[in-house]
Amino acid sequence: MQTVDMKPKHSFFRRLLPRNLPIRYKLLVHFLLITILPSLILGLLTDFVVNRIIEKQMNENTLQLISKVNRSLEFYVGNVQNTTYLISYNPEVREFLYQDKPDQAAREEALEFMRGFPTLQTEIAGIMVVNAKGDYLSNDMYSRSASKDLTLETWYQEAVAGKGIFKVIGHPYGRNVTTHANYKDTEVVSAVRAILDPDSQKVMGVVLIDLKLRVIVETAQDVRLGKTGLLMVMDEKGEPIYVPKQLGFQKIPLMWLKGQPSGQFVETINDRKLQFIFRKSSFTNWSTIGVFSTEEASPEVRQIRLYVGTFVFVVCLLGITASFALSHGISRPIHRLMAFMHRAESGDLKTRYWGDTMDEVGMLGRSYNSMLTKIGDLLQLTEKQERQKREAELRILQAQIKPHFLYNTLNTIDWMARKQGAQDVSEMVGALSKLYRIGLSKGNEFIPLAEEFDHVRSYLQIQKLRYRDKLKYSLDLDPDIAHLSSLKVILQPIVENAIYHGIKERRGPGTITVRGVRRDHAIELSVIDDGIGMDGQTLALMRERLDHPMQASAEAAGTGYGLANVQARLKLTYGTSDCGISIDSEPNVGTTVKLKFPIHEEGG
Amino acid sequence: MKKPLLLIVYGLVTGLFLLFFWYYGIRDDKQNDWNENPIGLMGDIEEKYVLVTFQSDLDYWRSIMKGFEDAAQLLNVSIEFRGASQYDANEEITVLEQVIARNPAGIAVTAINPEALNATIDKAVNAGIPIVLFDSGAPDSRASSFLGTDNYSAGATAARELGRLLSGQGDAAVLTQPKQLNHQERTKGFVETIQQEFPGIRVIEIADGKGSVPGSAQAAKTLLDTHPDIDGFFATQANGGVGIGQTLRERGLTGRKVVIGFDTDKGTLDMVKDGTINATLAQGTWNMGYWSLIQLFHQNHDLVQPNSEDMNGAHPLPPFIDTGITIVTKDNVDNYYAK
Repeated sequence: MQTVDMKPKHSFFRRLLPRNLPIRYKLLVHFLLITILPSLILGLLTDFVVNRIIEKQMNENTLQLISKVNRSLEFYVGNVQNTTYLISYNPEVREFLYQDKPDQAAREEALEFMRGFPTLQTEIAGIMVVNAKGDYLSNDMYSRSASKDLTLETWYQEAVAGKGIFKVIGHPYGRNVTTHANYKDTEVVSAVRAILDPDSQKVMGVVLIDLKLRVIVETAQDVRLGKTGLLMVMDEKGEPIYVPKQLGFQKIPLMWLKGQPSGQFVETINDRKLQFIFRKSSFTNWSTIGVFSTEEASPEVRQIRLYVGTFVFVVCLLGITASFALSHGISRPIHRLMAFMHRAESGDLKTRYWGDTMDEVGMLGRSYNSMLTKIGDLLQLTEKQERQKREAELRILQAQIKPHFLYNTLNTIDWMARKQGAQDVSEMVGALSKLYRIGLSKGNEFIPLAEEFDHVRSYLQIQKLRYRDKLKYSLDLDPDIAHLSSLKVILQPIVENAIYHGIKERRGPGTITVRGVRRDHAIELSVIDDGIGMDGQTLALMRERLDHPMQASAEAAGTGYGLANVQARLKLTYGTSDCGISIDSEPNVGTTVKLKFPIHEEGG
Repeated sequence: MKKPLLLIVYGLVTGLFLLFFWYYGIRDDKQNDWNENPIGLMGDIEEKYVLVTFQSDLDYWRSIMKGFEDAAQLLNVSIEFRGASQYDANEEITVLEQVIARNPAGIAVTAINPEALNATIDKAVNAGIPIVLFDSGAPDSRASSFLGTDNYSAGATAARELGRLLSGQGDAAVLTQPKQLNHQERTKGFVETIQQEFPGIRVIEIADGKGSVPGSAQAAKTLLDTHPDIDGFFATQANGGVGIGQTLRERGLTGRKVVIGFDTDKGTLDMVKDGTINATLAQGTWNMGYWSLIQLFHQNHDLVQPNSEDMNGAHPLPPFIDTGITIVTKDNVDNYYAK
């Protein structure tokens, strides 16, 4: 398939150069890029943008939810604060705080009053009022050991430090106070407020209220943060207020919040990358933090990714199919055309490109076909012209042996000789005349064998008169074939050779025998002499000349070897079929030249 | 050469896509979920169960509430406490009806008296709201279950303790709330056991403690005035014990009279510790709260005995859960204080 000519050295890498790739692959790569690249880019872009948008929305959403949660928490804590005020307004409570020894009835009434609050506000686990002497009032809480002074407790001190401002303490770890219903430290969150005498601003006592964590838990759990988000609550000291067990950790470093009132950050805990979104409540100073796992995109994003991915896949599939089909569709006709050209290259000029498309390849094909036709025509024309040239040459060749003029002149000489009584001159001229008469043969190319033999007999007669006893000859023609036609003036040049190169060169007299017989469908004429013969080299040269008669006759013009001429004529006339001249010779023995040509049924 | 190439490309692309599809579509990324311990019973935070009491400020309910809360924490549901602030049947009916109107996931109620709430309880049943009774029952209602003390046997236990402490001889009085079923049963158990097992002891009076400390103290005073030789008291509720104890202290009679109290509020426990009260009976209050919610949860989620829709047939839930009674004396009183 690939017919690119390349240097063997860099063949492989050069083949991979874009401009050297087969058209099919060029097209393929281009189509693939066009279909796949845009859709991939589109898919990635969409994914990126959508991801960003959804993330942003989710974060905003989360912050809003967290704000709501904060509001709820603030509400509960606000209630607790109100309760501390309500309690401090109660006269019986005031009496307990102010009196040195508050009496039992007052205590009972104060306790009765306090009992109402946890009843109505069931999120309160317990209320305790402690006066400055360490004596306390409570329905639900009591100090674990009477020996420890309650006023020395951290929570008391914090309330005092707050100077009458409500303060949330957080989980009451290590406290000397417990609730009768046995709430664990982790199940409640404490708040305190010091009760001050308005005039002296002296601390008269502290109200301690325990808030059940349950309400915070319910509020935090009520919020659904996406698929994997959970809420946790942390106080301003970094102590956990509520951390769902599923998170797997107890607390996070406060510094992650960077002291901001709200924000978000990403950190790794327990080898898990988590996103935190938080908002701080200015009232409770608690930070409500939404915790998300970053390792998985929200389900919406996953869905979008799925759809986009499927889309890209489908487009890719279609694109690949289309690319292959298209590139194939273009390259295949081209290859077919190439295949036809190949065949023409290797010599088969007859086949034509077959294709019925109207496109460029089809047009190329048709142009190619017409080109081949023209070539064929040109070849034929050349052949014809060659033949004509040859025929002209042939005629010129023959014209070299121009008989007309000489024949007429000879007739004149014959008459003059006879007039002067020179008989032998007349004989010679007569023979010469006959020679040329037959040679002319009124322009016919073919004469009966009998006449051809007469022709060579005349020639021999003339030569005999010249060479006398040196030359002897005999002619023998089979009478059956005497009427058959033969090319004219074929024996004479051979006999001429025999005389000049055979007999003349030998010592003593020589004999030339001319025979004519039938051999199957051919006529065989032989000229046998016992002249000096030819050596091997000369013989080979002669034979070569006979193999290339056209060149030989052109070269040998003037040197006397009419052999090539006869051969040329024979070949031209009878084609390359069973005809031609064969030579055999042996030095000092003689030479035999045989002519063979097929029987021409035309007479004369 | 081109056919296999095409197939290879197709195969590659399809393979990539399947991988992608599995990763984003099918795979359920368990590894990214929080480490949820799979619990069998898991509710929705939206489910609300309500506990309805009377005399809602009584400290006695606190322990039951804690039990209820602990169960809610475990089951991940939300709860609410409502109640009549007074000892008033009509008020409790009103509160209960208000609760029913909000269609909660379940109601646990303690009946102020055995009959007053029946109609309202049945309204809840008709509305398809699971409802159970605790501490103080209403046997003729259609509530699914009653969790409480076997009051009769509690009274019997108290009788035996009293009898032991009095060595089988003496006079005793009972301070109770006569209209409440649970108190009636305790009284009954006490009286009958005394009659059967301690013939030497006489139950001379059954007094009304009015359900409060002052009321009980007053009743005790009256008893002492009328029967100065009385040897022992049995209070069927916490306030009673404390009231009696206060009176005895005032009169300087601590240790001279046997007092059997009831419940484990701090006042009673302190008196047991210092000897004013000889013994008190601890009820399984935490259990009452806890198992009430468990039962309500089961009924709400239909995790009950199959084929029990027909109320005349099998009970969906155990109709009575005895939350038990224990005697608390000076020896083990420390265990009953909050830790």
